[in-house]
Amino acid sequence: MHDRRSFLKLGAGAAVGGIAAALPSAALATECASNIKWDETRDVIVVGSGFAGLSSALNAKRQGLGSILVLEKMQVIGGNSAINGGWLAIPKNPIQLAQGINDDSPEELVKDQIISGRGMQNTDMLRQIANRALDAYQLCIDTGVKFREGFNQQVGGHNKARAIRTLHGVGGDITTKLYEAGKKEGVEYRLQHYVEDFIMDGQEIVGLKVRQNYRFPDLKTGKTIYIKANRAVILAHGGFSRNLALRELVDPALDKTLDCTNALGATGEVTLTAMAHGAFPVHMSFIQTGHWGSPDEGGFGWSNALLSIGFHKGISVNVLDGKRFMNERADRKTCSDAIMKNRNPDGSPAYPVVFFNHDDHVGAEEVTRAVRDQIAWKVDSLEQLAKQFNIPLAQLKQTVDEYNKQVPLRIDPLFGRMMDTAVELKAPFIVSRIWPKVHYCMGGLKTDLGARVLHSQTLAPMKNLYAVGEATGGTHGGTRLSSTACLECLTMGIIVAETIKSDMQA
Amino acid sequence: MMKTLLLTLVVATLFTGAANAGDLVKMKGSTQGRSNHEFIYQDGCKGCHQGSGKQNATDAACVECHGEITSIPVDESKLAIPEAHPHKSLHYNQGASCLACHSEHEKKAPVCAECHRTWFKEM
Ligand SMILES: Cc1cc2nc3c(=O)[nH]c(=O)nc-3n(C[C@H](O)[C@H](O)[C@H](O)COP(=O)(O)OP(=O)(O)OC[C@H]3O[C@@H](n4cnc5c(N)ncnc54)[C@H](O)[C@@H]3O)c2cc1C
Repeated sequence: MHDRRSFLKLGAGAAVGGIAAALPSAALATECASNIKWDETRDVIVVGSGFAGLSSALNAKRQGLGSILVLEKMQVIGGNSAINGGWLAIPKNPIQLAQGINDDSPEELVKDQIISGRGMQNTDMLRQIANRALDAYQLCIDTGVKFREGFNQQVGGHNKARAIRTLHGVGGDITTKLYEAGKKEGVEYRLQHYVEDFIMDGQEIVGLKVRQNYRFPDLKTGKTIYIKANRAVILAHGGFSRNLALRELVDPALDKTLDCTNALGATGEVTLTAMAHGAFPVHMSFIQTGHWGSPDEGGFGWSNALLSIGFHKGISVNVLDGKRFMNERADRKTCSDAIMKNRNPDGSPAYPVVFFNHDDHVGAEEVTRAVRDQIAWKVDSLEQLAKQFNIPLAQLKQTVDEYNKQVPLRIDPLFGRMMDTAVELKAPFIVSRIWPKVHYCMGGLKTDLGARVLHSQTLAPMKNLYAVGEATGGTHGGTRLSSTACLECLTMGIIVAETIKSDMQA
Repeated sequence: MMKTLLLTLVVATLFTGAANAGDLVKMKGSTQGRSNHEFIYQDGCKGCHQGSGKQNATDAACVECHGEITSIPVDESKLAIPEAHPHKSLHYNQGASCLACHSEHEKKAPVCAECHRTWFKEM
């Protein structure tokens, strides 16, 4: 065995030589293409390694577009996609057909999306995506993704059971397989490569300015390199839910008390860079919040699953006055708005509690793990509940009494909640705290059907610049339906590779 | 030199267990480091940091001695739940940098702690 450490030192020497060739990173103004000394060149560069980036990269390779490089700023592959819930809407999927559901079609999915889009969706784009859904499913199967056997469900806002789910209920079941397939087929991936700026030649993108060896979130780390893109740059950098300043600019209701379900890297700087170079943004203020967040855990966590019990079988109560304050079964936006009104006099959140009967859910996984990870607690009585969360006891008792009287009547006179699943409340209880979390950005860069980014002066495609996934906007309109983001990203990754190929031949 | 290196490695492995990152102790001046990496510090910063100590280290330095993520054993009996296997993460599997979870000079919470509580402490 040769001395491995001296080998490393040798490598280090070579790297220093590389730095000398690059421009000083202090060059502030946007660089002009003709002045750039390129450190590297690839045919296609993909920005971001979520569903959209991974699908684009693999399909670009398979379309024979040449050398493909994926740049990811974080220390892990996958972004939001890796932490996602693994729900994927596929009309006419084999499990659905085996369940005897024969009346679904791409057009049925689009119908549902038109309703949730409130007229502002891009119906042609949704139709194109739905029509290619089986291709996305096949891409998963080809690369070894495992779905739950016999599992196909009707999820919120869909008129048919058409959502399948990955084996472990995480998007990571898909991202890890796409990544490994890409690796095998020759796609190159780089972690800790932060895309800082585009190098443009007029309205044509020719390459990227990149911070190599960057360590999130410190922009002073790493060093600047320039990578030339011969054929295309595909923006697949996801949404901007984690960019508090940006999201508050476009929707002031989303103040800093709202945490976020997203991966830490969902900060949207590439969207802003693209805009600075003329890309046209759309629907930036359409941002979805989830009303099922817990302030006692980070990110998406377990609360969402716990609250599907809580909102059906229990009630939510304002800790300041001990009263119910919303229809617990209303949609995301209605509930989020109601929850956010629960504030202390100084404006800080007075996190409402949600509770339901412990004894009806003994051994339920949602409960066990929530209690284990201390985002929910067991309390033995209303007295203990009131004491632990500082709720006026007399009013709390009255609230529960009044609610219990309504349960057999199946009527909620206060908020008109659907009471079909309601049960009489009886201690001991499982209780958790709630506060909405920012979840998904409907808005982003405007593209044509082929994923070409449109310029804000000409409204025509910017040459060689493409965008897919949550980075794009206008597709879903007012709100996105659950299980359709994954579908969009995988499908558009297939379509963008086809577009680039046809653009090359044009 | 190589012999002491290997010996130190073996000893460190014996005492800390293969899956343990080693205790954080004072190494050089005010710089902290891992007790099982003491021999590397004798070589200076460049062993891990390419070029200079001011450059961020990359995975290459870790893989050099420890091998790829798939070949590093983890004591599965110590996992909170079987799915919480840090080297076979359902979210990242091989697509994670060593540095996402491990840090040499300071304590660091692993990437899973961004969303999940109580599975792993800071290391
Ligand atoms: C917790 C959670 C659960 C969800 N569950 C579902 C579900 O079950 N079904 C469903 O359909 N949808 C779900 N969604 C929505 C869906 O997961 C996302 O919309 C989708 O993953 C977005 O994929 P993407 O590839 O566009 O972006 P991402 O997966 O977010 O990937 C973008 C990548 O780009 C990187 N990046 C950003 N900026 C830069 C830069 N400057 N330089 C280099 N890299 C950069 C990011 O670090 C990130 O890794 C969920 C979302 C969340 C957050």
